[in-house]
Amino acid sequence: MSLSRFLGKSVLYLAAFSAVFPMVWTAINAFKNRVDIVTPTPLFIFTPTLDNFAYVLGRDSVAAGLVNSVIAAGGSVLIGALLGLPAAYAIARYPNRWSADIQFFVLSLRFLPPVAVAIPLMVIWLDLGFYDTRISLIVTYTLLTLATVIWLGVPAFARVPKEVEEAARVDGYGPYAVFFLIALPIASRSLIGAVAFAFVLVWNEFLIALMLTTSDAKTLPIVASELTQLGRDVPWGILNASVVLLSIPPLLLIGILSGLLNNAFRRKSN
Amino acid sequence: MTSRTRLPAVFLAPPLLILAVLAFVPTAYAIYISFRNRELSRPDGSFVGLANYIDLFSDRRFVNAIGVSLTWELVTVTLTLLVAIVLGILMFEFASARQRAVLTLIFLVPVILPRVSAAFVWKFAFHPLYGIVTYPYKAITGQPLDLLSNPATALMTVALVDVWQWGLFFGVIVLKLLETLPPQPFEAARLDHARPWQIYLYVALPMLKAPLISLTFIKMIESLRAFDLIYVMTRGGPGIVTETLDMYAFSQGFIESGRISYASSMAVLMMVATTVIFTVIWKRVKP
Repeated sequence: MSLSRFLGKSVLYLAAFSAVFPMVWTAINAFKNRVDIVTPTPLFIFTPTLDNFAYVLGRDSVAAGLVNSVIAAGGSVLIGALLGLPAAYAIARYPNRWSADIQFFVLSLRFLPPVAVAIPLMVIWLDLGFYDTRISLIVTYTLLTLATVIWLGVPAFARVPKEVEEAARVDGYGPYAVFFLIALPIASRSLIGAVAFAFVLVWNEFLIALMLTTSDAKTLPIVASELTQLGRDVPWGILNASVVLLSIPPLLLIGILSGLLNNAFRRKSN
Repeated sequence: MTSRTRLPAVFLAPPLLILAVLAFVPTAYAIYISFRNRELSRPDGSFVGLANYIDLFSDRRFVNAIGVSLTWELVTVTLTLLVAIVLGILMFEFASARQRAVLTLIFLVPVILPRVSAAFVWKFAFHPLYGIVTYPYKAITGQPLDLLSNPATALMTVALVDVWQWGLFFGVIVLKLLETLPPQPFEAARLDHARPWQIYLYVALPMLKAPLISLTFIKMIESLRAFDLIYVMTRGGPGIVTETLDMYAFSQGFIESGRISYASSMAVLMMVATTVIFTVIWKRVKP
């Protein structure tokens, strides 16, 4: 093995270590008693405890945050998928003179700084009486999910072989049947990836939730961040446990998301 | 494919209408309240014209925030791309197909984490007394190392977390891009006894110029979302050293004074600046 090969591999292993270790360390700390965390030397051997998770899961604020997160992310992703997938198909398969403009408009929504959307929306929801409700969160997040599903759905539908759709048409399928029975199932793997990505995006969302909620509709990231701002006697174990809890759903989707990435590049290279 | 059907209208109209309403109503409303003097405690306010905008330009914290935001953009975009290119090339050069698959999965972990989680994980790792990253320094010198409270290092420490999240992920993308390249130019260069770094610098990277510019563009947009990291790790401190525009707008509108209109005028300026800049760049980049 040459020196450059050794160095190159070392850098890669180091990067891989840095990618995983911080979260692993957090997970380890989540099973420690406070005295084992607040030590002058980091401890790798200790008596594990489930107290932190029991405490976090037993707290009303965490339970409420979990429910709010599931409803806000689930609802907005559902709407985003129901409306976004047909739109993506229409853009991919029925190009017209506005197609490029529509795609640019959808992309340009991402240019908006979140704070610039959140401040006026907060005032609007306040005036309408919907401030700090799940409804307002779902509607606001739909802006994110819908745009994301359309943006990622267009290439997924474009990769469906045109011949298959034309053959179906020759067999007497109408345009809607072609979408529901042919294009949707064929593109489903990439589309699931797109929807999963939209879910991770809103599950992780912080700034908008912070501005649009104060108590009733607080999502899990807000609850977790409030725990991290606690005063002097910081309950480090509990903090680590709540961070682990918050991170589990996105990590569960990592396989689907890397599949989306692989699909996007594999087809292009052929 | 163009048998006459109303499918495009049926499929496109509702979602586009919803997007347009959700995007334009807040934008218009932000402009509207930026011309008033509304505050959180008072439901209404009166028309004050450009007063908020004029105040902004004599506000030293605002000017400071512009500087912090620009520094943030420059540092995170440059470092992310640099890290991504190095890792992508190293994987392409040294990793077997199976190792590449494993590394791809591993390098996706940081970017998938909620930013609140990433921020906390690193904040704790940098903790001056119990942090695992600062421990070696403490063990050797006997002094605690407090990077996040030091004005000279705070912003760079937070930027490190952002680069950690995006650089590794973009490394995977650079690898995938390299894999799409045809092998012939590489072989030709090798026959001419080009060294590996020369092949990448003069052959591979120029061939990937367009996608790399797109990646830069995407990172520029994503770097606007610095708020979560900064809010959890430093809250804009120490002092106002890490106070970016979104952090300052947030603290004006919520934490300190509840000056919604003033915060709105900042939001409007940010919106105009980013939309104009990114539209120009996009139109240039897109052939």
